[in-house]
Amino acid sequence: MTATPIIDARAVSRVFRMPAGPVTAVGAVSLQIQPGDHVAVRGPSGCGKSTLLHMLGCVETPTSGTLRFDGRDVSGLSDTARSLLRLRHVGFVFQRFFLLPMLTAGENVELPMSEAGLPKDQRTRRTRELLDYVGLAARADHRPSELSGGEMQRVAIARALANGPKLLLADEPTGELDEATGAQIAALLDRVNAAGTALVIVTHDPALADRARRVLTMRDGRVESERLR
Amino acid sequence: MNALGFAWRSLVRQPARATLGVLGVAAVGALLLDMLMLSQGLIVSMQDLLDRGGWDVRVSAGELPRASGRMQNAGAAADEIARLPAVRSVLLVRFADARLERDGRRPLPVSFEGVAFYGDAGGTQPVNWLVLRGRDATGPGEVVVNEAIAETLGIEAGSQITLRASCVAEREALPPTRLRVTGVAEFPFEATSENTVGGSIEALARACGGNAGDDADLILVGAQDDPDVTVAAIGAILPGVYAATNADVVGRLQETGFTYFRQISTVLTTVTVSFAALLIAVLLTVSVNQRLGEVAALRALGFTRARVVKDVLSESALIVGAGGLLSLPLGLLLASGLDRILKDMPGIPASLHFFVFETQALVLHVALLAATALLAAAYPMRVVSRLPIAATLRNEVIG
Amino acid sequence: MKLVAALVALLAVAAQAAAQNSTTPPPDILVSRHLAEAQGLDVGAVVRLATDAEGTRAREFRVAGIYEPTPDPAQLGVAPMGVRLHLPDLLELTRPVGVPAGAEYVASINVALEDPDEARAFARDVNARVPGVLARQAGEAAGSAGPFRVLERFHLAIAVVTIVAATVFLLALTIMLVDERRETVGVLRLIGLPARRVLVQILIEGLLVAAAGAAFGLVLALASEVLINTFFQWRYDTALVFVAITPDVAATCVAIAVPLGASATVVASWALLRRGGLRLARR
Repeated sequence: MTATPIIDARAVSRVFRMPAGPVTAVGAVSLQIQPGDHVAVRGPSGCGKSTLLHMLGCVETPTSGTLRFDGRDVSGLSDTARSLLRLRHVGFVFQRFFLLPMLTAGENVELPMSEAGLPKDQRTRRTRELLDYVGLAARADHRPSELSGGEMQRVAIARALANGPKLLLADEPTGELDEATGAQIAALLDRVNAAGTALVIVTHDPALADRARRVLTMRDGRVESERLR
Repeated sequence: MNALGFAWRSLVRQPARATLGVLGVAAVGALLLDMLMLSQGLIVSMQDLLDRGGWDVRVSAGELPRASGRMQNAGAAADEIARLPAVRSVLLVRFADARLERDGRRPLPVSFEGVAFYGDAGGTQPVNWLVLRGRDATGPGEVVVNEAIAETLGIEAGSQITLRASCVAEREALPPTRLRVTGVAEFPFEATSENTVGGSIEALARACGGNAGDDADLILVGAQDDPDVTVAAIGAILPGVYAATNADVVGRLQETGFTYFRQISTVLTTVTVSFAALLIAVLLTVSVNQRLGEVAALRALGFTRARVVKDVLSESALIVGAGGLLSLPLGLLLASGLDRILKDMPGIPASLHFFVFETQALVLHVALLAATALLAAAYPMRVVSRLPIAATLRNEVIG
Repeated sequence: MKLVAALVALLAVAAQAAAQNSTTPPPDILVSRHLAEAQGLDVGAVVRLATDAEGTRAREFRVAGIYEPTPDPAQLGVAPMGVRLHLPDLLELTRPVGVPAGAEYVASINVALEDPDEARAFARDVNARVPGVLARQAGEAAGSAGPFRVLERFHLAIAVVTIVAATVFLLALTIMLVDERRETVGVLRLIGLPARRVLVQILIEGLLVAAAGAAFGLVLALASEVLINTFFQWRYDTALVFVAITPDVAATCVAIAVPLGASATVVASWALLRRGGLRLARR
C-alpha cells in the first residue's frame, strides 16, 4: 500500500496581477512529495522555483489547481489554519537565515515549540537535543551576531526541525555561505533527510542538487525535466 | 515566549530608541495628567474651600461670584435669617480697606474683615478664619492678623497695632485706632499677597471712627439640614438679595471664571493624546518596517497573523505603559510648578489649587494612555497583518 | 462704562412697538447685541431705565441702535448686557437725590490722540497740569493685564514641556532613521570619506527636513488657529481672538524647530559614526 504523499500538487499555478499585466510565475505544475523524499529544484533566476516552494509550504495560495498536504485539500484553508499547518508540519530554512537577533540561539530554536504550546521542560530538552544534533550545544546562549554564517544556518535548521515537521523546505540554504561551509550544511540536510524528514531544496548549487534523489529543473514557471538518482 | 516577552526583547534590542520612546511618553503623559487634574481641579478645590469653612449658604447683594455692592440693613437681615427654622447659624461679614501704621515707613495696606455672629453658638462663636497661634479676637479692641502681617511687622499675640480704616466709598481722613493683636490666623479666602486683619464688627466700627454703617459684603449661613431648603427660605423673606449654596457658587464659577481652564484642559488633552499617538505610531511603524523580513520569516514558520499583530500591540503597550508609569511622578512635579505659576494670579485665594489629584483623573489618564497605545499600534498592526510573506522574503533576498 | 453695566442689572424694560406720543421724544441710547437678543429689542423700541430694581426715578429712552461690545477677555463667559447713554443722560439718571447737578464725577476719560506715539508724553503733561487725576497710556492702564501675564507664563511652561517631549521623540526617530542608512554610511566610510564629510551631508539633509517640517507645522498651526477661534467665538458668543499666530510667534517657532530637527539628526549620526566603517557595513 502506497503511503499518502505529503504533498500532492495537481496543475497548480500562481499568477501575479501586475500593473503591466498578469505574470505567470508557476504554470500548471503537478508533483508529489512522498515521506522521506529528497528533492532539489533547479533553474535559472525567475523561473518560479521559490514561488513553487512557497506554494508547497502553504505560504502562497495557488491561483488554480489543487494542493493537498497529507491528503488534505489546503486551498480553502484560512490563513490561521495554514499558519498552524506550517507550524506543526513544515519547516523552513531561508537563504538569509532570518534568526531573530534579540534572541539567543537556544531561544530561536525554542520559539516554534513555544508557539505550538509545548510545555517548558519539553521545550528545554528538545532545544538541547536539536542544538546538539546540529553541533552547536555549546553556543546555545550566543546571539546570532556572535555566530558565523554557517553556525547561523545550522541554528536555523535546528529551528526548522523544532516541532518535528514532516517536510523541510529550504530556499537556497547555502546561498550566503562559502563552499566548505555549504558542504557542512549539505551534509546536515542529508542527515535530516536520512532521519525521515522529506526535504525539498531550491538551489543554484549543483553540488547540493546532486545530493538529492530527485532533481526537478524548472524553466519559465514549468517543470522542464525530472532526473532521478 | 509570549507576546509581551517578545516585545520586551524587541525593545531591549534597541535600548536607545526604546528609552527615548518611553521618556517621550512620560513627558507627554505628565502633561496629560496635569490637564486632567486641571479640568476639575479648580472646582474640587473651590468646593473643598467653601465646605471647609463650615458655612452652607452665602447671601450677597448681587449674584456671586461677581457680586458688587453691599447689602443694606444687613444687621436686620442677618437677624431675620437667624430666626428661620432652616438656619443653624449666621455670620455677617464686612470688609474695609485699612492701612497699618509702621514706624517711619510707608503704611501697609491691609484688608479688615469684621464679623458678627447671629444665633446660638453654644460656646465658641464661629468666625471666617482659623486661629493658628494665640486666641481669637472677641472684644471691640481686639484683632487677629495673618502670617504675612505678623512676619512683616514682627508681631505676635499681645502686640499692639495702629490702623486707619475706611468703611465708606469716599476717602476719609480718620484718626488712627490702636488695637490689640490676640492671635495669628489663616484666612482661607485671602489672596497670596494679601494682608488681612480680622475682628468683630465692633472692632471694625471702632477702626472706622464709628462710621461702619449697617451694611455687609456677605452673610454666611449654616443650614440646619438641606442647604437648598435654607436658600428657598431666605429667598422667601428677603427677595432683594441673592442666596446661593456652595454648589451654586461653584456652578457659577464653572460657567464663568473657571471656564477658561476647562477649555484649555480639553484642548491640551486632545493635543497631547494625538501627539503621543502620532509619535508612537511613527516609532512603531519605522521599527516594524525595519523588521519586515523577520516578521515574514516568523509567518513562514507558522506564526499566525493574530500572533504577530499581538507582538506589535504588546510593544506599544510596553512603551506606553512604562512611559505612563513614569509620567505619574513627573506629572505631579510639573503640576506643583504650574500651580505655583497660576496662583500668582491676582485675587486667587492662597488656599485654592488649580491642580488637584483625584482618582477620577488617574483613571481617565490610564484609559487615555491605553487608547493611545491601541491607536498608535493600529497602522503598524495593519502592516504586519497584511504582510505578503513570500514577496517580503523575496525582497529581503534581493535587497 | 462700568456704571452702565451696573445699570443693566437693574434695567426695567417696557418695550413698545411704536414710539411714545409725547411732546419731548425720549433720549436715544444704544443697547448691546446680547441685551437686544435677550430682551427682544429692536431699533425704535422704547425702554425704561432705573438705577434700582424698584424702578426709582425711571426714565424712558429710545433704542437708537444695537452695538457689538468690545470683547473683554476678563469677562469671558459673561454675556455683556449693556446700554450706552449720552453722558448728560447718564449723569442725570445716576445722580443721588439731593446732590446738585455738576457735582457728579466720572470714573475715567478715554482720550484718542492725533499721534498715538505721543501718548506717554501727553500722559506726563496731564499729570503735571491737572492735579487729582492720573493719566496713563492705555496699555499700562489695563489693570486686568495681571491675570494675562500669569497665563502667558503658564502657556510658556506648557510650551516648554511640549518642546521637551517633542525633542525626545525626535531623537528617537532620528536614531531609527539614521540606523536605516547604517550600511550606506559604512560603505562610504570604507571607501574613504571622512566622518566630517558624512556629517555635513547629514546636517544638510536634516536642515531640509526640519525646514519642511517647520513649514508644515506652521500651516497646521494656522489652520488650527482658524478652527479654535471659530469654535470658541461661537461657544462664548464673542469676537475675542483666542489664538493669534503673529509673525513673531511664527519666527520663534521656526527658530526653535529647525535647529532642533537638524541637531537631532547630527547627534544621532555622530553616535553612529563613532563606530568603524566595517562594523557599520556588516549586516
